[in-house]
Amino acid sequence: MPPVRLVFRNLLKHRTRTVLTAASLAVAIFLLCVLRSLLVVLESGIKASASNRLIVQSSVSLFVLLPESYQAKMNRIEGVERTVRWNWFGGYYQEPKNFFAQFATDVEDLFEVYPEIVLVEGSQEDFFNDRRACVIGWEIARKYGMRVGDTMPIIGGLYPRTDGAPWDFRIAGIYRSVKPNVDNNTLFFHADLLEKAIESGAASGPEGVGVYVLRLSPDADRVRVAETVDTLFAGGPQRTQTASEAEFQAQFVTMIGNIPFFVGSIGGGVLIAILLATLNTMLMAAREQTRDVGVLKALGFQDGTMFSLMLAQSLILTTVGGMSGLLLAFATQEPLAGVLGTVFPGYHITARTALEALLVTLLIGVLAGIVPALRARQLSVLNALRSVG
Amino acid sequence: MALVPFAYNLRSLIVRWPSTVLTVLGIAATVAVIVGVLALQQGFTSLFREQGREDIAVFLRQGATNEGDSAFTRERAMILMKTVPQIAEDAQGRRLVSAECYLAVRRNKTQGAGETNVSVRGVMPMSFEIYGSDIRFVEGRNFVPGTDEVIIGSKLANRIEGARMGEILQFNTTPFRVVGIFDHDGPFSSEIWGDHDRISEALERPVYNRVVATLKPDTNWAELAQRMDQDPQVPSKLLTEREYLTSQTRVFSFVLSALGVVLAVIMGIAAVFTATNTMLTAIAARTAEIGILLSMGFRPHAVFLGFMLEALLIGVIGGIVGALAVMPLNGIQTGAMNFQTFTEVAFAFRVTPPIVAGSIGFAAALGVLGGAIPAWRAARLRPTEAMRRG
Repeated sequence: MPPVRLVFRNLLKHRTRTVLTAASLAVAIFLLCVLRSLLVVLESGIKASASNRLIVQSSVSLFVLLPESYQAKMNRIEGVERTVRWNWFGGYYQEPKNFFAQFATDVEDLFEVYPEIVLVEGSQEDFFNDRRACVIGWEIARKYGMRVGDTMPIIGGLYPRTDGAPWDFRIAGIYRSVKPNVDNNTLFFHADLLEKAIESGAASGPEGVGVYVLRLSPDADRVRVAETVDTLFAGGPQRTQTASEAEFQAQFVTMIGNIPFFVGSIGGGVLIAILLATLNTMLMAAREQTRDVGVLKALGFQDGTMFSLMLAQSLILTTVGGMSGLLLAFATQEPLAGVLGTVFPGYHITARTALEALLVTLLIGVLAGIVPALRARQLSVLNALRSVG
Repeated sequence: MALVPFAYNLRSLIVRWPSTVLTVLGIAATVAVIVGVLALQQGFTSLFREQGREDIAVFLRQGATNEGDSAFTRERAMILMKTVPQIAEDAQGRRLVSAECYLAVRRNKTQGAGETNVSVRGVMPMSFEIYGSDIRFVEGRNFVPGTDEVIIGSKLANRIEGARMGEILQFNTTPFRVVGIFDHDGPFSSEIWGDHDRISEALERPVYNRVVATLKPDTNWAELAQRMDQDPQVPSKLLTEREYLTSQTRVFSFVLSALGVVLAVIMGIAAVFTATNTMLTAIAARTAEIGILLSMGFRPHAVFLGFMLEALLIGVIGGIVGALAVMPLNGIQTGAMNFQTFTEVAFAFRVTPPIVAGSIGFAAALGVLGGAIPAWRAARLRPTEAMRRG
């Protein structure tokens, strides 16, 4: 057992130094928590993916659309229960910087295939019955102050209207996704509306379907169905690439580049910097306490006690710093989620991230405290008392 | 005014070397991270900005922000190519104008590193006249117009599967043979080029994404841009190639710069605190010495300056060590996704002199900020008291 009172006395003796060290640890742990949480967001979509869904897309390019005729053909494949179209609309609200995803979709099938999309306001029937209606994620509603019944004008970037006016969607509902694989920053509207508008010449833009999402029956063989789809369209007109939802999400993450490595490198630099800073403080403290250790040893305190005296100081110092950093990360969670929302939907500090942060903190505490602790244990009374501090 | 001898401060740094080294390394780690991020940003933007030419005109569909969004029908592209009077002609009287199609296609990276998106460009023979010596063949030859042959940018050849000389790249259902590898200092070196008609047919995209041209030297660009904007037949957006390429870097460049700033602030705070600790301890241990200095007649501001210099030195050395640590990154090839086109481009880290100078200046500032309070405390000590305390 370390002499508890002495541990605290020593820490409080140099209050400025203790506070500054804890504060720099706090900012470092805060930064690590944020970086880690960004990676968690990237992974969470993959982890939450449903296993009964397949995504069919063009094998040529993300920007190539599939023919409309594929839907009927895929509906006939054994094991496919429902299909839903997702068409990237690529518009924006008022200004290009107000960007969020909009998809033209088969609205009734959407809710069947994606049970995680839950309306918290408005009604599905209203949405289904009005072709000009849309549903929006709650984060959009909050950001732009939209309510059910309001009109959301979207300027068609990819699908401009011939008359130059924006597309006016009436908000029939606001949804909240109960799983992180669907974000709360999307607007869904009727694919028929878009199709008819292009047919009638009221709007122009690429025709076709971005991706088809297939819901499989519980007993269906995922791999077999995927192969069947790809073989069916191997001769064209557009070859397909069918993947599970998890693979589809993972593919986007790898396309963006080696983010885990990049973020990891930054985190490594932060860790090194903070470890050195803490070690610095502990070495300074140990040097000052050399004579104290000598006196205590002369009074008969054990080597082990001296060891724990130093280590405890380091651990308490880092724990206080690390906990503050973690609290800072939790406190800034809401505003940061607001800022990062569109790129990192669902940003939050998970329990696991918090636990990892604490482990890192403890590790820094041990690493920074072990050298002074070992030295204090080995120190001979004579040398210690001779030290000039 | 008598300053405290510099040797005094220098020696004290050396005497307390463990503390000095740890502080220097802490600042170095901070600087290294920031320089790394900025070198990435520089490498990326200079690839686009510095290689874009002022004399090449890029025509896009109105409202389009990149080639992917932009599209001209065959008829409109032809009208544009034939009618704009400012387009220059070569020695044989041919108009230096070319329509290109463009698509980001999926490809597998080599070594099973997953999928990526690569730019494929279908060009006309005139494209090579317009870009001129910017396009250099390093292996093989150019594709023969009208055939299923492609040429590959030098930085791409080893990054994706099937892109080496003689190999086959398949687009949808059509196989293309790689017949040449070309080099370009800008982003074209991460692209696949082929004959416009063949590429556009294979990809089933019967449109032109952009028109490029060399304009006559006396062209008034602003006037032409305005005219094209209001052109009744083919309304379009006119940019210089440099403007176009620069606009493609905005998002990614902003993200990296913002990240650099955020890291500089957060890690900077931690580094300042560490420097303060080091200087506080250094000064606390030397209280008696400071008392002596003051009683010898050194003015408080001389003592203040002396300790500030000590802190500054720690900062500058930290900055230099940090910058040196990242120096080996310079020139290393890496790839990143350009968020605007969603395609991967290969480029090299660039640790430029402004980055190095800026980061050393930043480190110096960290040292000064960290040293300010301790130095001020030292200068305010009373000689007699200080000597007694030590």
